[in-house]
Amino acid sequence: MAIGLGSGAAGWLLNACGSPALPPSPTLAPTATARPELPYLVVARGATEPEELVKRALAALGGIERFVKPGHDVIIKPNISVGYYGYQYAATTNPWVVAALVRLCKGAGARRVRVMDFPFGGLAEEAYTRTDIKGQTIAAGGEMEVMSSLKFTKLELPKGRDLRSCTVYGDILKADVVIDVPIAKQHSLAQLSCGMKNLMGIMIERQAMHFNIGQRTADLASGIPIALTVVDAVRILRDNGPTGGNLNDVQKIDTIIASADVVAADSYAATLLGLRPNDVAYIKAAVAMGLGRSDLAVMKIEEIKVGG
Amino acid sequence: MTPKRWKMVRKGVQYVALGAFFALFIASRRGGWAAEVVNAPMRLDPLGMLANLLASRTPLAGSALALVIVLLTLVFGRAWCGWLCPLGTVLDIFTPQRKLQPIFKEPARLRSIKYALLLITVIAALFTNLTLLIFDPLTILFRTLTVAVWPAIDRILSAVETALYNAPLLQDPINAFDKVARPALLPDTPLYYRDAALFAAFFIGLIALNWLAARFWCRYLCPLGGLLGLFSKVSLVRREVVASACTGCDACARLCPTGTIQLGKNGASDPSECTMCLECLRACPRGGETFKPVLKPAKLQPYDPSRRQVLASIGAAAVGVGVLRSETAARRDDAHLIRPPGARENDLSAKCIRCGECMRACPTGALQPALFEAGLEGVWTPVLLPRIGYCDYSCNACGQVCPVAAIPPQTLDDKRLTVIGKAYINTNRCIAWADHRDCIVCEEMCPLPEKAITLVESADSPVKLPVVNRERCIGCGICEYKCPLNQAAIQVYAIGQSPS
Repeated sequence: MAIGLGSGAAGWLLNACGSPALPPSPTLAPTATARPELPYLVVARGATEPEELVKRALAALGGIERFVKPGHDVIIKPNISVGYYGYQYAATTNPWVVAALVRLCKGAGARRVRVMDFPFGGLAEEAYTRTDIKGQTIAAGGEMEVMSSLKFTKLELPKGRDLRSCTVYGDILKADVVIDVPIAKQHSLAQLSCGMKNLMGIMIERQAMHFNIGQRTADLASGIPIALTVVDAVRILRDNGPTGGNLNDVQKIDTIIASADVVAADSYAATLLGLRPNDVAYIKAAVAMGLGRSDLAVMKIEEIKVGG
Repeated sequence: MTPKRWKMVRKGVQYVALGAFFALFIASRRGGWAAEVVNAPMRLDPLGMLANLLASRTPLAGSALALVIVLLTLVFGRAWCGWLCPLGTVLDIFTPQRKLQPIFKEPARLRSIKYALLLITVIAALFTNLTLLIFDPLTILFRTLTVAVWPAIDRILSAVETALYNAPLLQDPINAFDKVARPALLPDTPLYYRDAALFAAFFIGLIALNWLAARFWCRYLCPLGGLLGLFSKVSLVRREVVASACTGCDACARLCPTGTIQLGKNGASDPSECTMCLECLRACPRGGETFKPVLKPAKLQPYDPSRRQVLASIGAAAVGVGVLRSETAARRDDAHLIRPPGARENDLSAKCIRCGECMRACPTGALQPALFEAGLEGVWTPVLLPRIGYCDYSCNACGQVCPVAAIPPQTLDDKRLTVIGKAYINTNRCIAWADHRDCIVCEEMCPLPEKAITLVESADSPVKLPVVNRERCIGCGICEYKCPLNQAAIQVYAIGQSPS
């Protein structure tokens, strides 16, 4: 009996540590065709214009054409969670990263490229301007949209294990392509605020998420079709996130991460903040639900050095 | 110009002035027009500016704009009332046209109420009390628009939009409408104001008085009308009856909106009551009246303030202020009397003209009309209610827009350092402290670069616990606003107070 128990325990342990068998393919990206010949995740680094980093990362991932087709209605969802500080404080997505994606999408023939978020601190109109995302988006040919309370709609989350439904901005669900453009930040409860956490911006009542933030963030992500995730790590916020405000907490590492799998992108971003992916509750929950991969060691990752 | 033309011109001017007032109201928001432009109507108001000057003992450059209206009155009498006053125009719109004159027998001295109200307001101002400015016509109209009318229109429009949005064909036009209307005209998230029904009822009541007599408010009650009326005693251009042409028919008296044409006195009218509407010119078939420069002061009327009335008003003001300041609110501040940034130290009560510009400009609806937090003396001055709206860390609109700098204008950097209150956590309610569950929303929301809420890990608790660092806290209230409980476990109290 002891041997039986022992082998049972060993088997359980082996499974808990993650087997070396092929992981399930991500279920989050219906618009991005799986392309095994391309890298699963691309990291572009270089002390150069953020726009250049984004272009090179997307090119290595198969080009924007892999995700955006002519005539598409595209929504870019950056992190504009607060309207308190300029982009240098790394609380909100770098405006040139957003602009680069707007230009790429327009270049691929998108009919309309909208950029939007629903700040939790301050109002959208002010936040869009103070973060400079409005200025750069319009210069790039995109539109800013204020998320009107009129258009929020109930979303059922059949894959959700704790959260079974929520109220989100309807247009996100109706768009042809949703591009998640978070900035990598420290977060006091979630440890990391990145791609999946960024989706909270499309919810209207978010307080309840905090009661079980790991599982509920993954539950939310299970219901939102994200085609592409581009993590802004040009500057990252190492402490006092997610609102920031102290330049001493900002670290400029001139990095862009791109992947069709938001879980993988978040996993890599976690390492930039000195975290192990599976230590972040919402990444662990997402992997358990089969939403994506966190096994960076066996993932096909292409690292690009850009510029001088 | 024919009298009929004059009426068209006057109506045109009235509607343009009302339109301008309304446009400035709409633009009185953060991100709207320049502050000195949007608060111009308040600074044009001689009653508000005079009372503020007397109460605050602080001359303000911007208040000099009111001299324009004083000058207008010294030349053209109560032309403000007949041509420019937005409340007057609203009252004209809601007047039963059939019968303008009182349905009751007008007591000879009824019109003295406005003089009494004026005198008590001015004398109370000498005692640094401005409570009676709640009866100024411009503040009435602006406050009512802010607190009752515009939010109600927003609610109705939103309900219609939401209902129509179900029809797929209508979605694009509704989106287009929303893009134009929000946030430029209507807020993008709904704003709520305390006691909106009370304000609405007061305003509707005021309009309803028109059914007793046209322009009831202007004739009998308006203190600004009283002030301009006093100036009009020596105004230059006045109505005069042309004795040779007048046959004593009562055509003019019937059409006078303030009912000041007295047939018994050969059709003479009191310049202090005449709003220069020129309707009498239109009514008279024989050219029996004219408007011309007259240099002698107007005759005194039975309802004009007599020496006795002035003394009685001084007494009433003294008694009133004395009683108001015997209230408990004068002894200790209510713990929930959180004032806009910089206002508490700036002697708000003695400066605030109760106009509501700050409440209109506040983007989160944090500033609300005080009911009793500041005692009866402070009724309808601004108080910040964090549970309704937080003080946005990126906003300094209230100080910019205040016409009398009762809320001092501050740079955003200075305002971010100004303390208006301090937050306290009730550890018997807090989800983390009392229920041992994860939350930390308050810490997450704190906007300070060095957060005023820190999370501590304790051996006794499976979850992180929020603790307020009161040195850093500025009292913005976003923590209280976002707390997920139905009664916030973290609350902001006015400075100097602690939970009892």
